Amino acid sequence: MLKIDDLKVSLEEEEKQIIKGLSLSINPGEVHAIMGPNGSGKSTLSSVLAGKDGYIVDSGAVKFDGNDLLEAEVEERAALGVFMAFQYPIEIPGVGNMNFLRTALNSQRKTRGQEELNAADFLKLVRGIAKELEISDEMMKRPVNVGASGGEKKRNEILQMCLLEPRFVILDETDSGLDVDAMKLVSRGVNNFSSSSRSFLVITHYQRLLNYIVPDFVHIMVDGKIVKTGDKSLALHVEDTGYKDFLQLGKEKH
Amino acid sequence: MNHVNISNWYNSLINEFKSKSLSIEKVSRRSEYWRKSNLDIISDFVDDTSQIDLNSINGTCLYEPNLTVHGDILELADEKSYEGLSILDVIADEDSFAKGYFGRLEKKSQRLVPRPLARENTLSPKVGYVFNFSDNLKKPLVIHNKTSPSASSCFQRNLIVLKENVEATIIETGNNLSVFNNVTEIYLGKNAKLNYLDLTGEDNLFPKISHKFCDMAEYSSFNHFGLRLNTKATRTEIELHLNGRGISTSIANVCLLNKENHISDENVLINHNAHECKSRQVFKSVLDNDCTSIVRGKIYVEPVAQKTDGYQSSRSLLLNENSKFLCKPELEIYADDVICSHGSTSGSLDQESLFYLLSRGVHKNKAKEMLISAFISEALDEIEDGSIKSALSNYIDIWISSFFNE
Repeated sequence: MLKIDDLKVSLEEEEKQIIKGLSLSINPGEVHAIMGPNGSGKSTLSSVLAGKDGYIVDSGAVKFDGNDLLEAEVEERAALGVFMAFQYPIEIPGVGNMNFLRTALNSQRKTRGQEELNAADFLKLVRGIAKELEISDEMMKRPVNVGASGGEKKRNEILQMCLLEPRFVILDETDSGLDVDAMKLVSRGVNNFSSSSRSFLVITHYQRLLNYIVPDFVHIMVDGKIVKTGDKSLALHVEDTGYKDFLQLGKEKH
Repeated sequence: MNHVNISNWYNSLINEFKSKSLSIEKVSRRSEYWRKSNLDIISDFVDDTSQIDLNSINGTCLYEPNLTVHGDILELADEKSYEGLSILDVIADEDSFAKGYFGRLEKKSQRLVPRPLARENTLSPKVGYVFNFSDNLKKPLVIHNKTSPSASSCFQRNLIVLKENVEATIIETGNNLSVFNNVTEIYLGKNAKLNYLDLTGEDNLFPKISHKFCDMAEYSSFNHFGLRLNTKATRTEIELHLNGRGISTSIANVCLLNKENHISDENVLINHNAHECKSRQVFKSVLDNDCTSIVRGKIYVEPVAQKTDGYQSSRSLLLNENSKFLCKPELEIYADDVICSHGSTSGSLDQESLFYLLSRGVHKNKAKEMLISAFISEALDEIEDGSIKSALSNYIDIWISSFFNE
């Protein structure tokens, strides 16, 4: 489904390479976790996959179902089925949440040549998802994320995911700023959504989230590269010993 | 004025006013209130209609008009519901109630700001209406101005009086085929309320200069909403006198300009002359293609006006490098127990918000439209009437979408 091949990425504003030759292959139905210390390039990876400005791809390729993902516009990636849950979801005063959700869904459907969803069907769909994620009507009526707590914002991200039904989801430090209850709620949303045709890339600092969203593969990222891949026990190992064992691996690979 | 009969009271008024008349050419370019304005647009406007397809101009008319000011003719659609008089009849009438009102606010308005175009209007009105409301208006009164292409300029003079406890909503729309100079004097009685919407669209190919002067008695309320959609050149001068306690007022303006070098010039002066009054000013300008928006908003607080609550916000979105937002908020306060604040910002579309919308699959133009629409929503929220607000908001949204799809 997703194939990253020897990807090298620099920041646009300073000549500094952040991702230094990263390769990763994700098949349908797989859950991959990327862990790593601060500054290892995890968030840069998610930003580049989602298509954010400010990065230069020096070399390498990213294929999504055979499409050149790096060539696609941000909104085209979304319509292809790529979704990133933001670490810090944006507040947009003046744009109503419902209007935003409906426009997003119908824009994607339009891009894919599908018929737009009418207001009644949309409402039914979105209310069902909101109920499952315990998001109040009042929250749905507000402008996008305005006045929402950290937990509410993350739940809103999961709601968007369930509504837009992407096939590849990046969870960018979704656990940051969440208490245990919120984390369980968010994880439940993700687990209910997972299927044999959907894949996840979970980016996190801590093993904690992976107790709830259980990965098939865990990758340790240090200094812009994946230095170690294992199963979920690798995450437990990191929890015990920290990243110090892996920092040396990062240096050796230079 | 030779062809018009005039009363003795109006004759003595013009004799008094004439001696203090001031021409636009003599307005000092250093004057704070004219410094940024492009006076050439107003004084030397080339009166060339040969390039314009007059049949294509329809006016920004959201509603069926009750009153059409066609050239210099007033056409009242439903005469029974409103008592409307022609200004020319009023200044000819020795016993008109208007003699206590006409020109008084224009004279007062010259105290702090030189307003030569308002003075010129007082001396030679060509058309206009007088409304003296003693009962609530159940429906909005819609006035459609259609100035004549044959006249080089049109001086429209209006007088609106609301008696105690009377509420009214007036919507002014129109299309100007000559330079349009409008002065409207407004008197609000105790607890009266006037909502006034001045909607000016892109078919205004000629400069439009609007003056609104308003005298307010205690607990009255005046809410003014201005819309400037690709208007070539507009200058608005609003001056309010808050003369009794408990008055509230809101001045909001949305300005969307994307045709080369178009200019909008908004000037507001709010005089707080009594205690416990509240005033709000919200300006939103979205500018592309080297357009300019000027906003001068002043809150003046007299020593007696304790517990004044004054708020002013002026913000712009600049979509190209040479567009300009020239903003001068002013506070002049002589009372010591007041809350007065102002804020002004200029910037481009927020890239983080744009990315967020795109990442959810919203198309780029649609995402920009949503952000522009969100940006101006604070000003639209000042409109109290929900149905007018939503009609207007839909109208503007459609307009914004054509803005990007051209």
